[in-house]
Amino acid sequence: MTKAMLAEAPTAFALQCRDISVQYGEVAALVGVSLAFAPKLIHAVVGQNGAGKTTFARVAAGIVKPVSGTLAIGGREIPTGNVGQARAAGVELVHQSFALPPSFTVAESMEFGAERGRPVFSRRGLEKRWQKHLENLGVRAGLRDRIRDLPVEAQQGVEIARALVADAKVLILDEPTAVLSPSGIEKLFERLKGLKASGVTVILILHKIREVLGVADTVSVLRGGRLVEGPIAVGATNARRLSASIIGVQAEKEIAADEAALVGATAGDALAGAAPAAAINAAPVLAMQRVVTRADSEGPGLEEVSLRIGRGEIVGVAGVEGNGQRTLVRVLANLVEARSGQILLEGKDVTKTPLSERRARGLRIIPFERNSEGLSLSSALWENWSARQLLLGPALRLINPSWYRNACDASLKEWDVRYHTTMQAAGSLSGGNAQKLILAREIDADASLIIAAQPTRGLDVGATAFVWRALRDARARGCAVLIISSDLDELFDICDRIVVMLSGRIVAEFRPPYRLGEVGAAMTGAH
Amino acid sequence: MEEFVIATLRYGTPLVYVTMAGVLAQRAGVWNLGLEGLMIIGCCAAVLGLVQTGSLLFGLVLAVALCVLASALLWFVVERLRANPIIAGLGLTGLGLGGTDLAVQAIYGSQATVNAPYGLPRLGPYFGDFGVLSVLVAAMPFVVFGLWALLRRTRFGLQLSASGEHPFAARSVGVSPARMRLIALCLGGVLCALGGAELALGSLTIFAYGMTAGRGFMAFSAVIFGAGHPIGSAAAALFFAIVGAIGIRAQLAFGDRVPNDLLLALPYLATVLGIWISARFRGGAKAASSFGELRDY
Repeated sequence: MTKAMLAEAPTAFALQCRDISVQYGEVAALVGVSLAFAPKLIHAVVGQNGAGKTTFARVAAGIVKPVSGTLAIGGREIPTGNVGQARAAGVELVHQSFALPPSFTVAESMEFGAERGRPVFSRRGLEKRWQKHLENLGVRAGLRDRIRDLPVEAQQGVEIARALVADAKVLILDEPTAVLSPSGIEKLFERLKGLKASGVTVILILHKIREVLGVADTVSVLRGGRLVEGPIAVGATNARRLSASIIGVQAEKEIAADEAALVGATAGDALAGAAPAAAINAAPVLAMQRVVTRADSEGPGLEEVSLRIGRGEIVGVAGVEGNGQRTLVRVLANLVEARSGQILLEGKDVTKTPLSERRARGLRIIPFERNSEGLSLSSALWENWSARQLLLGPALRLINPSWYRNACDASLKEWDVRYHTTMQAAGSLSGGNAQKLILAREIDADASLIIAAQPTRGLDVGATAFVWRALRDARARGCAVLIISSDLDELFDICDRIVVMLSGRIVAEFRPPYRLGEVGAAMTGAH
Repeated sequence: MEEFVIATLRYGTPLVYVTMAGVLAQRAGVWNLGLEGLMIIGCCAAVLGLVQTGSLLFGLVLAVALCVLASALLWFVVERLRANPIIAGLGLTGLGLGGTDLAVQAIYGSQATVNAPYGLPRLGPYFGDFGVLSVLVAAMPFVVFGLWALLRRTRFGLQLSASGEHPFAARSVGVSPARMRLIALCLGGVLCALGGAELALGSLTIFAYGMTAGRGFMAFSAVIFGAGHPIGSAAAALFFAIVGAIGIRAQLAFGDRVPNDLLLALPYLATVLGIWISARFRGGAKAASSFGELRDY
């Protein structure tokens, strides 16, 4: 199959790598990957998290130097690990988390990576130089706007425009859809098709099969740093086959759950086990009433947010990132003050109650940033694990480390965390295991309200399924669960109810069966 | 009034030069706490070079060479040996203070101040009362605006700023943040040498042990107060200088009725105030939270 495709393609590949291997310390990120992409098509590279997709993109762009292998652009071999050479040959990479200095203006962002032009410029000259470029690409952003003030979709537009300042022949985009709303994704794909028509070869790093089948001409699959298949024409495969080759051979049942995560099956089992509406309204675990907060550096303030979550209910918060989701979590954690309104936990007013007391009443938080907010990476596993209990007691209470170590050991085994010893630093765990450690700490018998902020971001399919199962189990025990996620497929699968946040407000509420179009429209304020 | 302006410029000019070195380093991603050390190396090398050879030019060249060398050393320790920049910078300050003292003792056998036969060229009578100031004072505004233009109106400057603010962004357009930091630190070394020379040979003609008296740290604060902006930071440095000049005037006016030490402490108190203001109103504390880590992802 692969050979046939290669033979069909024209002689000079837009980008060809042979036998690329990358080693990060002990970990082999890529092993002998050979891939060739025909020019003027949209190619997708797919795989689970940790499959080596991003590493592959970075090797192609010259940012990561492989230990072995060669790289050829347009039939001409270039040295590996040299960004300047790769850019000169026409390869540009748009990063997953954008790589533009936040304090730069849009015009400056164009200029700092440009090749030609006057070395000294005036502000007006600079804006004149890039005006046309942005217009041609249909990027709507003022040239004087600062990157940090732009919404993510505009930031991505600017980043793509930045990548195209030179004469790009190969444009690689690393997970470009992760930050976008459904309509933003559609616009991005339109833009990419336009670029393809103008002769640019596009390589998309993706992990959602639905998107791949919608936009790409060919698809290649990476798994565990190795090329599984590809590039194969998209017409010659289907969602089922692709997910099988992405996941690999596993137990049949596990695949079913994992497939849902990959393909993005709607409905799922969200209806099963949902609490009746009457019970929710009778005694909600969490009731926020017209909560207002001030806007700060971390996002817009909340504007009259009212939200009720009942016992045994999973409520999802959808929305384009930066529309107040973080503030919502921070106000519940008492990290930002509510200027007006009320927060009731189990019927008691906790609006002015410190976090420790809220935690004592059953509030549990799986925070957005597991490496900075969720864990102390330099502390031992048992210290991280016991932090919740330790912080509740009096400051001068004597503790018995060996008791905590044993308890931690038992708990982590139960949560299937892979580790060496409870004395090792939390920073030595992989992303999935680190998240499980947080789950082991936060989901306990006394939990009544669990806030899970982006609980599966950056996790592979297996770990994602594990987190979902843990949250569903918590629901079955009668916990109220609030999930904040930018992955709509995830929310559709697991939530009994979804609310949509836009500019600090809750603008819409949905119940299953969910329709992508409706939720997407609410996210962008188009409904 | 003119006297007051002259006193301010005398106090402020060395400070502004060193502040500009701090701005360059901060923009490139290094919080340079070695400014104090670099400045005193500049003072000492300029004076000793002048005294030993009788040539002012040689003194200046020696000061520039040693300051650039010391800056490159800081870069090597921070960038190549991955040392914490704060600790490495403080180490450089210690090296400067101790090293200059050692040099004076080794050459003259005592810790006495070293007197130079003459100082930097003066502006001359054409400038009236301001003629007593050195040429470096007149050059200062050009250095400040030149640095601003370099940072914000050239591609080189944008790449340098990107190296500090978002090293990965710099790397992904083919710029080496490490190289940019080396350039920024070495250029800063030149500015520190000039600042040191101005302090020792501008209005005085001496070198004394520890004569920088914390001005390097004051410059560091001016960088924070001015949020790393060349003009804002220069303004902050001049604000500290104004407070210093007020202190000098107050000494003359009050004589013994107010303790001298208190008046001499005024610019330092202003520095603390400046840091507090920038933390309170401009998120300076947030900038400070990235102290000590060299980001390169």
